[in-house]
Amino acid sequence: MAIIEVDELGKKYGDQVVLGQVSFQVEEGEVFGLLGPNGAGKTTLVECVEGLRRPDSGSTRVLGFDPLRQGRELREHIGVQLQHTQLPENIKVWEALDLYASFYERPRDWRELLERWGLADKRHARFAKLSGGQKQRLFITLALVGDPKVAFLDELTTGLDPQARQATWELVKRVRDEGVTVVLVSHFMDEVEELCDRVAVLDQGRVVALDSPQGLIEGVDSEYRVSFRLMRGHSPDPVYLLGELPGVTSVSRTGDLVVVAGRGDFATTVTTALAREGALVHDLRIDKRTLDDAFIALTGRSIEV
Amino acid sequence: MKILAKLTGVETKLLLREPGAVFSLLIPLFILLVFGGAITEGDTVLLPMAVTMAIGMVGLYLLPTTLATYRERGVLRRLSVTPIRPGNLLTVQILLQSALTVFAVALLLGVGIGFLGARTPSALALSMVFLLGTGALFSVGLLIAALAPNGRSANGFGVLIFFPLAYLGGLMQPTELMPDSLALIGGYTPLGALRQSLHQVWSGAALAIPPLLTMVVYTVVLSLVAARYFRWE
Repeated sequence: MAIIEVDELGKKYGDQVVLGQVSFQVEEGEVFGLLGPNGAGKTTLVECVEGLRRPDSGSTRVLGFDPLRQGRELREHIGVQLQHTQLPENIKVWEALDLYASFYERPRDWRELLERWGLADKRHARFAKLSGGQKQRLFITLALVGDPKVAFLDELTTGLDPQARQATWELVKRVRDEGVTVVLVSHFMDEVEELCDRVAVLDQGRVVALDSPQGLIEGVDSEYRVSFRLMRGHSPDPVYLLGELPGVTSVSRTGDLVVVAGRGDFATTVTTALAREGALVHDLRIDKRTLDDAFIALTGRSIEV
Repeated sequence: MKILAKLTGVETKLLLREPGAVFSLLIPLFILLVFGGAITEGDTVLLPMAVTMAIGMVGLYLLPTTLATYRERGVLRRLSVTPIRPGNLLTVQILLQSALTVFAVALLLGVGIGFLGARTPSALALSMVFLLGTGALFSVGLLIAALAPNGRSANGFGVLIFFPLAYLGGLMQPTELMPDSLALIGGYTPLGALRQSLHQVWSGAALAIPPLLTMVVYTVVLSLVAARYFRWE
């Protein structure tokens, strides 16, 4: 069942098209990614979906509500973590949760949330005294305190160190495991690849691709390489055979090191052929294609603008 | 109602943790006590000055800084994605800061009348002038909050205009010692109009219309302009 339906959404600021005919659906229970460089229109798009901004054209339904006309009812059922927002410096963790819980008709027990999200010992700490990771956990907890069906997480790990990022990813998986549909806005490839079931790639206000991260990666028709070393004393040379396999574009051998280049799913074909020939190899390496490659193929440039 | 009560509770705690709130209470009191030694029975100058200063500090300094900081930190924006309207927070803040002002003035009256032997003014006249003055100075504060890009600049701007306004309003020295032209202009500044009316309240004279009208005009015009230019983010 589609929880979010966005149909031909358009938005201009003056002459500049920020969103052009954006359409997508988010299914219940999935982690849906909005990936794009800064200025691609991700935040504007999410704000239209949340009812914070009025689009110029198109229609949006979230949980069956019209975000503009039924904003209050909608916000009862969504949880939002916004980019660049802070709490007052002197508010204590428990006060913030207690306060935000009071905004909702059927909130979750915030004491239990504190325990679950590892903030119980920070309960009486002031916001200003929390570390970046703790603040992020508090924001996620605040987004969940209304017991939402959908959580919008915007640039969740920007500014966090690698360790805190990893930890935050685990938190997002936990949110999903609790049955909350997640819309994740990000410009980090690894994050989207790790967390999202499906991704809409946004470029200059348009959706240029929509697929699973794996599907996006496999859709890229670029050459990549497989390399391995032949075990010493191996009799039939398999190299001549590999050149004939579908997808393989070149094979080269230097001593016992063999490098095979190709397109598509040739890596599986190569390893299967080696096994069939009984060739013993070690140091097998497959250049992993990443979402970065897919993004460059889709938009013609790297995301780091 | 439950939400507003909760919001008021939390905001009260935050206000009390704010050093600026304590300063707004203590600085006018300090000035009253320092100069209060020289107060004569039936003084009509010192207490109006201290009361004006207390209202001015909250209106020109504490209120705009708090609101601009909330906007800068995205607190208002964050509220707008919950079921409640961020306007609730502004309402609660304005009410709280009004309460703080009442408390500050009550403290000054208590000390001034109870210990320093100042005259007890007419409650009705005092209440009316207090309301008008608070309205005028809070409107200036709301305008600063509307125009300042962040908390620090709101704070800076408040401090920047506080001293000239305090001077013109006759809070730094008696107006008789000021050049006539400045004293005349001062009568039409928010602090000057308030101090004048309070002086009349304490001296038991009939309240003159011009300062009262001045405060009404500031309240109406500036709060409309502030509402027009206020941004939530």
